Amino acid sequence: MNAPPTENIYLPKAAVLDRVVDEIPEVKTFFWHFVDPVEQQGFQRFRPGQFAQVSLLGVGEFPASLPPSPTETEVFFTIRLVGSATLALHQLKPGDQFGVRGPYGNGFPMAAYYGRNLVFVAGGIGLIPLRSCIVYALKHRDKYGRIQVFYGARRPRELLYLASLRQWEQPGGLECHLAVDRGEDGWKGHVGVVGSLFRKPGVQVPVADTTAFVCGPPVMFRFVIKDLLAMGFEDQNIVSTLERYMKCGVGKCGHCCIGVAYVCVDGPVFTYAQIKKLGEDI
Amino acid sequence: MRARIIDRADVLKLVDVLRQDHEVIAPFCGRGRDTYFDTVTEENRERVQIHLPNPYYPPKRYVLPHIEGLFRMRRSSGGVQIEPTYDGRRRAIFGIRSCDLAGIYHLDRFYLGRDFRDVYYERRRRNLFLVNVVCTDPELDIDDGCFCVCTDTGPAARAHFDLQLMDLGEVFLAVAGTPQGEALFANPLFKKGAPAHLARRREILEKVRRQFKTTTSWFSAAVRYVSLGKVAEQTWEAIGNRCLECGGCTYVCPACTCFTVSDRKVGPDEFERVRLWDSCALYGFTRMAGGFNPRRAVHDRRNRRFFRKLSHYFIQRELSMACVGCGRCEEVCHGHVGMPTVVEMIRRASAQQETNERAAH
Repeated sequence: MNAPPTENIYLPKAAVLDRVVDEIPEVKTFFWHFVDPVEQQGFQRFRPGQFAQVSLLGVGEFPASLPPSPTETEVFFTIRLVGSATLALHQLKPGDQFGVRGPYGNGFPMAAYYGRNLVFVAGGIGLIPLRSCIVYALKHRDKYGRIQVFYGARRPRELLYLASLRQWEQPGGLECHLAVDRGEDGWKGHVGVVGSLFRKPGVQVPVADTTAFVCGPPVMFRFVIKDLLAMGFEDQNIVSTLERYMKCGVGKCGHCCIGVAYVCVDGPVFTYAQIKKLGEDI
Repeated sequence: MRARIIDRADVLKLVDVLRQDHEVIAPFCGRGRDTYFDTVTEENRERVQIHLPNPYYPPKRYVLPHIEGLFRMRRSSGGVQIEPTYDGRRRAIFGIRSCDLAGIYHLDRFYLGRDFRDVYYERRRRNLFLVNVVCTDPELDIDDGCFCVCTDTGPAARAHFDLQLMDLGEVFLAVAGTPQGEALFANPLFKKGAPAHLARRREILEKVRRQFKTTTSWFSAAVRYVSLGKVAEQTWEAIGNRCLECGGCTYVCPACTCFTVSDRKVGPDEFERVRLWDSCALYGFTRMAGGFNPRRAVHDRRNRRFFRKLSHYFIQRELSMACVGCGRCEEVCHGHVGMPTVVEMIRRASAQQETNERAAH
């Protein structure tokens, strides 16, 4: 992402909210487009794993993962209500304007995984940044080996993108394994932490020529990493995307700096080998 | 060297020359030890100081203001209008010290380097004329905490100024660092110098260098230990235990770059996005929406500041070090964990540990 030298890197571009879809409690998906079609065209070339800065007039700005794949025609954010800026976004109505700038960050090097098996391990809303990769991989299905999704949430009603997961889960698509911490609402599936899915009878996780994508809360991250390493995954074949408090998204404000890396420009995608070398806990 | 001399009595006339087409910022004395940078006006121009303790509030704010408006957002029929607010005023800082000059150079490397350029910084910087004054008075110019001789940034800057002035006694030596600085030599205030003046410059610097009180800040050792990850957790804890989390060290630092961003209301349906200096010493610096904070303990935050400034990785990334030896953090820190102290704590503890490890083998 080399911005032209005269460009003001902090200026959000006007975007219009098209429609809002309820996902799970407190999480909604916002479909939008840029007012300027040229901006839209430029933005559409983002890479899976990149993020954007979302601006709400008079409230502030926050970084948000890009769950769509660049192969899809619409762009959207899936946002959980956590603070004042996300609240302001949740209160917008279709037709309202807000600001977006980006895409920022390194993203996943999808071409580097050609020929490999992909194992996605997500917890809660950690599935949002991985969705982009999953859709991208399904679109280029012949380029990848087996694709598996291991996804866990606290309760069945907190499982995100469930309809899409069901749709992708088909012969020639991907294998999807779900887990919940508490089996409520007549849940018939697996109960336990997401890592326990690896040991479920009938589940076979490839390790050779496989890249594992891990995204979720820090606790889940620690345990899943332990599981993956025990299964024989090498550090450089485990990738994750990190989340930090960010103000600028372009490596200037200093908030997201972990050890030797600025998450916004050097990340947010890091291999576990890189994460270990950051020199700070994540 | 493109150099001239200027009579002692004429030095402050330079301020008036610059005021013709610049807002001129110069240092003044307040009460007691207090000194400050301010805009020169008709009222205060007589009180501009050449020799004085370096103000704690660094001149950094003329390129990176403490609070800076980025743009205004107005809700209008059917949309939002966004208008950036730039400051393109021509400014000159008269009497900036060599350490602060190195600080501005570091900010240049940081804000104008790598993939993204900061246009706000760039506009201010492009219109800034820098007149450096060399610290030569051991009583007035050099504070107990000054350690530019250790960071190799002073007392006489080698670059990054437009014009450098150095007190030789009867006359000042003026050195031009840029074509704009050299253009000033057309003014009759400047006279041709003699080789004796340069000899006098060397002689004074030789003497001044030996009059610093803090001369043993072993940066190379600290950089080595920090970069190799050899600093024990207990050392960071010892440093953190003395931190009062006031953020003072970051606010007086001429090379600190972090900022936060906030929106404020400026009219009915009109808002301004501003950026403000922020500090990694504060608890909220890394706290995310929802409350999770990856950097909870105070020593983690102290570790952060010194790691950022002392690790070889960042020095190489910016080709400049984020500590310029001004000694302000040492002066303002109530817990006495300014940079020279921390460098010493790291060196002593890590060297001891190394010795112990060697003995154990």
